[in-house]
Amino acid sequence: MLELRNVTKMYPSGPVALKEVSITVTEGEFVFVVGPSGAGKTTLTKLLMCEERPTSGSIIINNFDVNKLRPKEVPLLRRSMGVVFQDFRLMPTWTVEENVAFAMVVVEVAPRHIRRRVAEVLSLVGLTNKRNQLPGQLSGGEQQRVALARAIVNQPSLVLADEPTGNLDPETSWGIVKLLLDINATGTTMLMVTHANQIVDSLRKRVIALDAGRVARDEEGGVYHG
Amino acid sequence: MVKLRTWGYFADSAGKSMLRNSWMTLASIGTVAVSLLVLGVFLLVAVNVNTIAAQVESQVELTAYLGKLSVTERQALETEIKALPGVTGITFVSKDQAWERLLGWYGNDRAFLAGWEEENPLRESFEIRTDSSHRVAEVANELTGLSGVEEVLYGREIVDKLLAITRMIRLVGIVLMCGLALAAMFIIANTIRITVFARRREIGIMRFVGATDWFIRWPFVMEGLALGVVGALVSASVLAWGYYLAVRSLVRVMPFWPLVSPWPLLQHLALLLLALGAVIGIGGSTVSLRRYLDV
Ligand SMILES: Nc1ncnc2c1ncn2[C@@H]1O[C@H](COP(=O)(O)OP(=O)(O)OP(=O)(O)O)[C@@H](O)[C@H]1O
Ligand SMILES: [Mg+2]
Repeated sequence: MLELRNVTKMYPSGPVALKEVSITVTEGEFVFVVGPSGAGKTTLTKLLMCEERPTSGSIIINNFDVNKLRPKEVPLLRRSMGVVFQDFRLMPTWTVEENVAFAMVVVEVAPRHIRRRVAEVLSLVGLTNKRNQLPGQLSGGEQQRVALARAIVNQPSLVLADEPTGNLDPETSWGIVKLLLDINATGTTMLMVTHANQIVDSLRKRVIALDAGRVARDEEGGVYHG
Repeated sequence: MVKLRTWGYFADSAGKSMLRNSWMTLASIGTVAVSLLVLGVFLLVAVNVNTIAAQVESQVELTAYLGKLSVTERQALETEIKALPGVTGITFVSKDQAWERLLGWYGNDRAFLAGWEEENPLRESFEIRTDSSHRVAEVANELTGLSGVEEVLYGREIVDKLLAITRMIRLVGIVLMCGLALAAMFIIANTIRITVFARRREIGIMRFVGATDWFIRWPFVMEGLALGVVGALVSASVLAWGYYLAVRSLVRVMPFWPLVSPWPLLQHLALLLLALGAVIGIGGSTVSLRRYLDV
């Protein structure tokens, strides 16, 4: 499902962001990626999204070999995953419904399917009655739910979440994490980058710790500080 | 949820951008309209001069001016000319007849002719008709070789002058139009650049949810296309209106050389301008997308 072998990433300017990283994630797993600031966690998600290319090493995601991917195929790879960011990345002038539907419009799904599926995911994240509101009228947690709904609306097999609770208070964060667990329970692979040590420690999922671009630790049922 | 349909989304975002940058939109449409207007004016003038040239060229008559000849010499020459292939008729114009015509042409403004009545400066001539306009140059050549013929005049010379003028007009028109079209393209490119900047957040979202490059480009291409086509429509309307006015007023001033009928000339011109407007618009947005949207 997801396999990195000896992946090194050097930015043209700046230090080596990832050094000889090898990670394998099987289908349906829930993985936390932790580590200090600058450890290379965001770089890792960018490589998986194909926003950056590895300097060396191979990456295989959902049967796409990133090194052999032609520019035309990048959108196809991205359609097979959903992404969530710390800053939500919603269109402020569109309603909740439109923000979610957009991910389907962009991949040219027929309008009648869009309506049905959008209603489905909005009820899943508990925002059915806010569907006609603008993001600015919602709380941070609600905005992140919209982003999450958008990430899963096309039924990806992998969800990448880069500090999805970074801007949220602990209680709201738990709400988001519960949703991620629900989504994971339906078989979707989940990769969550986080600094929320309490969440990591209480869930006891697989934890991959990066430090200065290297995998410092990779253990099942792990905790935030090894 | 108005944006559900792909093309609805494209049209919606292109339309919103145009309204949001209304000044740039107007400037773009304006420059496209002006550059195509210039091209249109030059083309209309060229078409009309060409038509006049063709009319003159199609005249089957020529005039051979004669030197000093006795009556017998003249009659011999007349027989000789009649025998030339292609000649279908010949009329002798005496010096007196030529003088009468000249007076008739100038009507009341003949004051400047005063003093010439005594010794008529005009020459005798033959007016010769040929069976077709293609023969005229050939016959003129033969005539020039005959003794007693001083000079041969026919439409061809006028035509050559007119054609030289059209070539100039066309050249100036094309150079001017190219310059203006480049300016129009530049302004459209700049407008699109502003749109790309204004929509960078949306573009970022499109990228990570898996939009293809073409999906991302379309709204911008449509905006450029709309700017070009609307500009072309403006110029075509102004040209059509101007040309109708010109046709009406010139009929009175020079009834012998009427302008080319507006229909279907204007229709063809409008199609040409629309096509060029579309090219300018798509060109402008393409330039901008290459530079500012690395998809
Ligand atoms: N676009 C870039 N160009 C140059 N250097 C970069 C770029 N992006 C990241 N880096 C560098 O790569 C290293 C890893 O950055 P990255 O963003 O992956 O860290 P992170 O683990 O996500 O940190 P944080 O927890 O603060 O988000 C850092 O040293 C950073 O300065
Ligand atoms: Mg980061």
